[in-house]
Amino acid sequence: MSLLNAALRRLFDLLLYPFQSLPAAVGLTVVSLLAAIGMLWAFKKTSNQAGIEAAKRRIYAGVFEIRLFNDSFRQIWRAQAAILRANLTYLRHQLKPMLFILPPLVLAVAQLQFQYAYAPPAAGSRTVLEATLAPGWESGGVETSPSGKPRAELVLPAGLVAETPALWIPSERTLTWRLRVEQPGDQTIAVRIGGRLYEKSLDGARPLERRSPVRPGRSWLDQLVYPAEPPLPADGALERVSVDLAPAEVALPGWTVREMVGVPAWMTVFFLLSILFAFALRKRFGVTF
Amino acid sequence: MRPDRRPRLVRAPAAALLAGSLTLAVALTLAGCGDTGDARVASRSVVILGFDGLDHELTGKLIAEGRLPNFARLAEANGLGKLGTSVPPQSPVAWSDFITGSDAGVHGIFDFVHRDPKTMLPYLSTSRVVADPDAGEPWTLGDCQIPVDGGQMELLRHGTPFWEKLERAGVETTVMRMPANFPPSGSATRELSGMGTPDVLGTYGTFTFYTSELFYDDSKISGGGEAVEAWAEDGIVSTELIGPDNPFTKAKTKATAPFQVHLDPDEPVAKLVVGDEERILKVGEWSDWVPVSLDLGTCGKLLMTPSIPAIARFYLKSVEPEFELYVSPLNLDPANPVMPISTPPDFAAELAETTGPFYTQGMPEDTKAFEGDVLGRDQFLEQVRIAHDEMVVQYQRLLADWRGGLLFLYFGAADLTQHTMMETLDPSHPRFDPEVSPKYADVIPRTYALFDEFLGYVLEHAPEDALVVVMSDHGFTSWRRAFALNTWLWRNGYLAVRDPQSALDAKLFGAVDWSETRAYGLGINGLYLNLQGREKEGVVPASERLRLMQELKEKLLAEIDPATGRPAITQVFLREETYVDGGHREIGPDLVIGYAKGTRGSSASALGELEEEVLSDNTEEWPGDHLMDPDAVPGVLLTNRPLVRPAPTLRELHWSILAEFGVADDRAPN
Repeated sequence: MSLLNAALRRLFDLLLYPFQSLPAAVGLTVVSLLAAIGMLWAFKKTSNQAGIEAAKRRIYAGVFEIRLFNDSFRQIWRAQAAILRANLTYLRHQLKPMLFILPPLVLAVAQLQFQYAYAPPAAGSRTVLEATLAPGWESGGVETSPSGKPRAELVLPAGLVAETPALWIPSERTLTWRLRVEQPGDQTIAVRIGGRLYEKSLDGARPLERRSPVRPGRSWLDQLVYPAEPPLPADGALERVSVDLAPAEVALPGWTVREMVGVPAWMTVFFLLSILFAFALRKRFGVTF
Repeated sequence: MRPDRRPRLVRAPAAALLAGSLTLAVALTLAGCGDTGDARVASRSVVILGFDGLDHELTGKLIAEGRLPNFARLAEANGLGKLGTSVPPQSPVAWSDFITGSDAGVHGIFDFVHRDPKTMLPYLSTSRVVADPDAGEPWTLGDCQIPVDGGQMELLRHGTPFWEKLERAGVETTVMRMPANFPPSGSATRELSGMGTPDVLGTYGTFTFYTSELFYDDSKISGGGEAVEAWAEDGIVSTELIGPDNPFTKAKTKATAPFQVHLDPDEPVAKLVVGDEERILKVGEWSDWVPVSLDLGTCGKLLMTPSIPAIARFYLKSVEPEFELYVSPLNLDPANPVMPISTPPDFAAELAETTGPFYTQGMPEDTKAFEGDVLGRDQFLEQVRIAHDEMVVQYQRLLADWRGGLLFLYFGAADLTQHTMMETLDPSHPRFDPEVSPKYADVIPRTYALFDEFLGYVLEHAPEDALVVVMSDHGFTSWRRAFALNTWLWRNGYLAVRDPQSALDAKLFGAVDWSETRAYGLGINGLYLNLQGREKEGVVPASERLRLMQELKEKLLAEIDPATGRPAITQVFLREETYVDGGHREIGPDLVIGYAKGTRGSSASALGELEEEVLSDNTEEWPGDHLMDPDAVPGVLLTNRPLVRPAPTLRELHWSILAEFGVADDRAPN
């Protein structure tokens, strides 16, 4: 997983490099167009186009039948049953191309999430850094205070200031600091604990670059969800390190898209544009869906 | 109203209002008063900076010391004007005078509190909840109930606001935090309600103090705060924020929001967890605004209103040896207010969206927490500064978007800092502490300097042709001596008690024998006769009223303070001689007491209590005041060019503002 993520990180860094200094909407438009083209191509290659056409025709026929024989209950019920069967057939024909399209799309979305979902930390803003200790950390050579609090040191680059001492919550195995961003930049925060350094990036030099709220541990699921940074060492005292990042907005002409009910702004824009491009290009690709 | 003319601050849709979550919704229409209006489209721009409690004498002194360079610019150009205040010089009365251009006989606000003569109980003078008398019982379903009528907030100030007259003449008005304007009048293009706006509980601000101290004496915070016991178990304090009554349960329950505070075992730092919100706080730090959802339980969920939105600020006072956490009054969430606080209704949400959440309660400065020692002097000052800074950010934004018309911006910091810190400028004050007071002697001048700084910003950013008006509702002075009016009435045979032994312990006239009482005091400046046919147990015949009023006036004016050798009272106003008969004069006191400069009615007497002494030193944590003879506490008037119509008083200023826009009114006084 980590090798795949490393390769994808490089690919997307390269792909999005020309858009780093441009408004997010520009890069998203290009990415949505490429995604629409990719999905159309994959759909055409992997779907039963004739079957889809036939299923759609049967649905149209059923609807037409209901309109024609609207005074006959029997005919209406029969037409509705035919529409239902055709719908199921249609969905079955969609399933196969989705199996080909979804896995790369999920990986791409995971990468795009960390390029577009989070705003760069602004000067004067605050964030919270949380280091979660691994289960069984007590036996890992981590020094503790008399109260049982693990001794940890925060190593901060210039431009970041810790406003609080470490807060230890034993039930959550977390050490938490509140940080203030004095000078945004591509920064690396390090937590020294048990004689080792654990790093977490906090990049804010450019509007568009990889930013992740979590540096994951060895958990496969964590790595799938947070692929933007390499995982922490498996034998370390820390299980994960996270920072709070503010959600980013996407400014379109006449519409500033914001995070809504947990859906990041970029995702709204990406899916809207992808669908629009796919509809616009479907005839050129000779695809029906 | 002209929705097409309202510039919006943001394009994003405003947060949806929480439908039916509380009892309150207002559609208030103020009756027109027959002014002619002027059909010409106004072209002038007027910015009014309303600084509550800015004192004329102190302003002059600080100008002379060079502390207020922008005030000095205006004073040099047009003089430092004295602005005559209201009778009595209390903020709701004074601002209502300015708003309506009339006195209390018209607008009906005579004091912070009025009394119902049928029950002899006081009530807040500026707004009330009005229940629908035709509403039936709530519908019930198991343990739940559906209120049939939630009641409506009613603004008790009458008269026509100057902005309504301007709007009728086509002038766009923005009125920010005007006191005595809750619920908002609805007649400005944009307005945000100010002094008088309650918290979520419906009070003028009730903070909560969470403490692990056993036997904490909560009497010292009663009336302004609640104390809640809170202990840490395994380093976690689990408790809850307490909201208003849950309207959806038959049983008396409260809407609440659980929260936890995780304490570090070694360091003075904690994590606050309220719902999905988390904050890391060191001891001695304020949080930013934390959104709070007060849970309305299963009944609320069934009725599609699961919670009441609010916002709160937290101050971690201590973790060792005692856990002490101050939580601000639960303010209405401006993004989703459950009571009307702005015109248009989504204006508050737009402000919150562009400049962040803000104090919505009318008087954000938590003097009650300061008086009760929950907030120390420095913490209180920090809180005052937070509230002030929120206003400045908002006002700067409004100014940037302003396209002319009238812009009124209110600031309250001077009033509250002078109320609480005035002894720092007065070594003869009974509370002056030579060790502590001098350290804070610059607090009030600094507050004035903050205003000066904002005035400088306005002068720089307002359109060149804009008229800039700096005004205050009243001045300020040191309050050294307290006059117990009810005790004076008792000692002089006008007020009788049933049992002299227990008279000093009773509250709200509990000791008074009404059958033998001819007069009583309520509110700081109000003196009422116990009149037959008006008061519940009135004994004074109407034919005796004027004679008794005159007698009381003469005796009160003859009262000498033995500590100073000077009169304790310098003016007594008879109702009929002071107020016009504008339809609401009958609400007011029969006499209004104008205490000598430095003397004020005692707080206990204002709420119907009796005390040992008539005159005593003021030892309250409230060393400054203005509820005295109006001539002793004039306000300030400064302008960047001469007014078309001079304004020697607050009431006159109303007409002067209209005149600046060329809006005529046949009823304007000469």
